[in-house]
Amino acid sequence: MVAISLEIPPDVTFVILTTITLLAAILALQAKELIYGAVALAISFIGIAGFFVFLDAPYLAMLQIAVYVGAVVVLILFTIMLVRREETEPVERPEEGEGAVGLWIAGLLAVSIAGVAALAGPNLPSSMQPADLPVSELGPVLAGQYPVPLLILALLLSGALLGALVLAKVDR
Amino acid sequence: MIVVMFLTWYERKLLARIQLRIGPLYAGGPGGILQPIADGVKLIFKEVMIPYKADKPLFLSIPLMLVLSAALPFAVIPFGQHWVIANLDVGLVFVFAMTSLFPSMILIFAWASNSKYPFLGGLRSLFQQVAYEIPMWISALSVVMLAGSLNLVDIVNAQQKIWFIVPSFLSFIVFFIASLAELERLPFDLPEAEPELVAGWFTESSGAIFMVIFLALYMKVYLMSSLITVLFLGGWWGPAFLPQPVWFILKTLFVATFIIIPRGVYPRLRVDLLIKVGWTRLLVIAIANVFLTVVLLSTGVLSAWGI
Amino acid sequence: MPSLVSFIIVSAALLGIGIYGLSVKRNAIRILFAVELIVNAANLNFVAFSRYMNPPQVTGQVIVFYSIAAAAMEAAVGLALILVAFRLHSTIDVRKLDKLKG
Repeated sequence: MVAISLEIPPDVTFVILTTITLLAAILALQAKELIYGAVALAISFIGIAGFFVFLDAPYLAMLQIAVYVGAVVVLILFTIMLVRREETEPVERPEEGEGAVGLWIAGLLAVSIAGVAALAGPNLPSSMQPADLPVSELGPVLAGQYPVPLLILALLLSGALLGALVLAKVDR
Repeated sequence: MIVVMFLTWYERKLLARIQLRIGPLYAGGPGGILQPIADGVKLIFKEVMIPYKADKPLFLSIPLMLVLSAALPFAVIPFGQHWVIANLDVGLVFVFAMTSLFPSMILIFAWASNSKYPFLGGLRSLFQQVAYEIPMWISALSVVMLAGSLNLVDIVNAQQKIWFIVPSFLSFIVFFIASLAELERLPFDLPEAEPELVAGWFTESSGAIFMVIFLALYMKVYLMSSLITVLFLGGWWGPAFLPQPVWFILKTLFVATFIIIPRGVYPRLRVDLLIKVGWTRLLVIAIANVFLTVVLLSTGVLSAWGI
Repeated sequence: MPSLVSFIIVSAALLGIGIYGLSVKRNAIRILFAVELIVNAANLNFVAFSRYMNPPQVTGQVIVFYSIAAAAMEAAVGLALILVAFRLHSTIDVRKLDKLKG
């Protein structure tokens, strides 16, 4: 297990991770250029990977980086480069009052979830029990306890791959 | 750092011998060993030209990120039984996660140069690197199956009796070829091919930027060599008259030699052929090796060596 | 030691950001960004919950394992769709892409 023996108290790490992830997420949507937004998205993914490490899920963190930042972001960059036109991309100026509605909806939703969580706070665990979640335990659970989703996932993967290939094919 | 400097000198000398030349002799010191410093000084003084309308912040920050992600995995590679900085339980996956960052950074850099040639070179390089990641992962899978752990220290420990190159010889070959492709070295050199695309995805970088990228590239070479040593050549095990880290470095240099030699020997491979080979042939061989390993493990052939 | 509530708040905030992006932005690729953010928020939630259980479980991690794979697939197919839409209509402004027939 990752033994972080620096003297950074876990609360500080948590706050740092949260700020990075949330800021990057906001940037990803608001950045002027799409490419900057993609880079910001990658940063927020790395932030989430940091959270996974914090939560004793190192394998998942590495997987997140390898799959999301390594592959999904590449795909996104690719698409952005293929979809460029000489004029500007759709200017993100929402029409009258629209941005406000979006903010209200999203804000209300987020606040209500957070509120419910905070109200139920006393009943929820407030500190982590010492965990022993070795990576070797993932394997038996994946293949032993949940084999069906594994197989379905494999089929789904092949289907998605073929679908994307067929869709993106250029008929010459 | 020092290793990189040494590596570049070593490479040029070696290549020159192969090409029947003598190689760098003039830069002072015995046998031109100060050549890398001369190179570095020259590059620092060269003017850093940023192409017109290129994307400045990206252009300047990506090379640093490249070096960062090339240097980080060294923290998990064990040089000896207790000579490792961070003994991660998922060490191998960490290294692979870092290597999967390269294609996206190369793409961003190529795009940020805002000119045709680097961009094309970047695309080709991207295809090449992404295509060869998978055979690499799968051939490493056979090693992981043999060792029973993703922890690099455990993997080396499991090779006490026999180096993994023997049971999974096929995946050694696949891994080696795949790393040649990942490192963009000949014979998979098209992104760098001089007559074709000037200098590929780093065409527009000059001076200090190029030096940083160059650094990252050679760090990757060393990283891959040490990874091959850990996974297939038994890490630091060797007769006890030399301390463990020395064995490790010796083996790594041995591998690095074999990475450098093809550059002077083989002709270049065309990029579409290259990608095809990666996805079809290498992948099949890697998967075949996984099956072979499963068979070997289950029939207990390898129990004589404690696997 | 942050409590479970703080993790829920963080993932709720990410969810909110994602929904804002989903509802307001006109660029199809930005909407994809927002969707990925939402999926990541849910993943974070799963892992946090499974970690804070007593005793800590590995189930959340397994779920997130599948979720990462599924979300990556969905991003790939979504991007392919955006490419096709762009080829047919020369725009990726979702307001203009409102006719069902090519």
